[in-house]
Amino acid sequence: MPLLFFVVICGTLMLGYPVALTLTGVSLGFAGLGLSLGLFDIIYLELIPNRLYGILTNQNLLAVPLFVFMGTMLEKSRVADDLLQNMAVVFARVPGGLGLSVVLVGMLLAASTGIVGATVVTMGILSLPTMLKAGYKPSLAAGTLCATGTLGQIIPPSICLVLLGEVIANAFQQSQLNSGVFAPQTISIGDLFAGAIIPGLLLVCSYAAYVLLTAVLRPQDAPPLPAEEVQALRSGNQSLALALIKGLLPPVFLVVAVLGSILLGIATPTEAASVGALGALFLAATKRALSLGTLHAVSLETLRVTSMVYLILVGAAVFSSVFRGFGGDVLIEEVLVNLPGGTFSALFVVMLLIFLLGFILDFIEITFMVVPIVGPILLAMGVDPIWLGVMIAVNLQTSFLTPPFGFSLFYLRSVAPPEIRTQDIYRGVIPFVALQLALLLLLALIPELVTWLPGVLG
Amino acid sequence: MPSTAIPPSKAQPVSPWRSLAPAAQAVSRVIDESSERLGRAAAWLSFVLVLVVGFIVVLRYGFQIGSIALQESVMYINGALFVLGAGYTLKEQGHVRVDIFYSRLEPRGKALVDILGALLFLLPAAVFIAAASWDYVAVAWRIREGSPETSGLPFVFLLKSMILVLAALLGLQGLSELIKSVTTAYAARSDQWSAAPADGKRTLTNPEKSMKLD
Repeated sequence: MPLLFFVVICGTLMLGYPVALTLTGVSLGFAGLGLSLGLFDIIYLELIPNRLYGILTNQNLLAVPLFVFMGTMLEKSRVADDLLQNMAVVFARVPGGLGLSVVLVGMLLAASTGIVGATVVTMGILSLPTMLKAGYKPSLAAGTLCATGTLGQIIPPSICLVLLGEVIANAFQQSQLNSGVFAPQTISIGDLFAGAIIPGLLLVCSYAAYVLLTAVLRPQDAPPLPAEEVQALRSGNQSLALALIKGLLPPVFLVVAVLGSILLGIATPTEAASVGALGALFLAATKRALSLGTLHAVSLETLRVTSMVYLILVGAAVFSSVFRGFGGDVLIEEVLVNLPGGTFSALFVVMLLIFLLGFILDFIEITFMVVPIVGPILLAMGVDPIWLGVMIAVNLQTSFLTPPFGFSLFYLRSVAPPEIRTQDIYRGVIPFVALQLALLLLLALIPELVTWLPGVLG
Repeated sequence: MPSTAIPPSKAQPVSPWRSLAPAAQAVSRVIDESSERLGRAAAWLSFVLVLVVGFIVVLRYGFQIGSIALQESVMYINGALFVLGAGYTLKEQGHVRVDIFYSRLEPRGKALVDILGALLFLLPAAVFIAAASWDYVAVAWRIREGSPETSGLPFVFLLKSMILVLAALLGLQGLSELIKSVTTAYAARSDQWSAAPADGKRTLTNPEKSMKLD
């Protein structure tokens, strides 16, 4: 029954009705069926109002609207525009300079705005035409832009890590209570942020190395900008270094302040996010990009994203109540614990499942639907919670890139000129997907890459 | 709302929808407009949220003052932001869809998926949430439940009531979406049969748009 339930859910989701509502509707339908067949205890439905209230009063998730506000505000203040230009000029003489400047600006945007769609679209509009004009191979240009855009998922502060942190922290407590530890250890969203930093930077380095290597080995794929183009990009009479510093300083300062205060344990993610949002407001004001209209547009966007995320939470809460009601969690535990190969194969199966689900679902749904069910089981088998969280985050980030349904690819397609074929985009991301998988493997072999920094800071 | 029957045009078959359509579409328009206004007004709550949390930070780190009431107010603001925006987000097609197949469907196919979804998922879900939470909220009202903290806000019964507001707003906007989808489905069908213009000009506001947070 729980398996049938899960399969029906996935099948129904493919119809295309909003996920949050499909989850709720199908779960209730199955609960009704189970009740009439005597397979389901109504107590699982009676607990739902209390879970909904729990969602409304959750303190950690408060960081979500605040980070969305901060990111959207920064995007509206156009931090990326000048940066991309100036970086391109600085790297003009390095092989693959344009590509490298995209990766570096992408990393900064990932840390500050952290919104994949916005990053891919902004950089796609600004950099793709320049790269094509310089003679970049379309697939290399497209792949670099798509992959760099997804860095927002893994480089903290990121919404993905906030949501995962919340879910993993609960799963960690759950697993300890289940095994009779009544004074459980806790982990925080800040721990997950700390754990993701080194893997995030490794990813940036590997992207940059790939671009550089391609440019050295196959210069015709990533030629430098012609001198007159470089001149055209240089904005006015301002000296380049000054312009670059002026462009870099505010967002870097903001990120360091927000991230630093979380990592050092001075402020909670929610508090830091509000400071970040205020900083973004200030930055927009100094760039004369702030008006009542902009403020309302940013607020409205925040409302939309907040409502969207929370409604998925509601749907996932109903789903997991019903799934548990059918004994689904017990079933999954039996399967995972009894796999030949122990913890390793359990982990592998879960990661594979998440990777495959990533083709159809997005990270919010997977985080709320799957992780609460498999999390406590894996953690009870002795897996480190922070390491697990970061592994899942990298995995989910990869799902943004996997053709044919990676969202990053859609975003780039929507702003790419027609001479870029969809095939070019698909072909271009393949090396980057390989880099992602290589990172997952590396983190699996050397877990200290994740756990070292939180240990030092904590 | 009275539904005056409109004589069906000769070329087309009589259907109950023809007579109901004008009234239903009027209802849908009223709901849409209310959701729009409510959403646009509630959006300011996100700015308020930024300011209040910012204020808490300043008080705490600048003046070592902590206020439980202020801290709790953040929960209320955030809850209201989500709940009051739910109808608007639904109207704006802001909820994530798995649009692998959906995005390739004709308008009529999309309308059919949306009709099924509204009838089978959304409306039952709204009714269930309302029904299941009714007693839970009623108890909170009876004892005028307040914060478990002594200096907290005494309005927990209002916070719990937001669950009912959520169900109501989702249900109403769901009804409006249903009406619009039925209109679209009918318009698409009559387009196939004759060149007669559809009686409802309103279709899905943004059928292609499906927003993603990432």
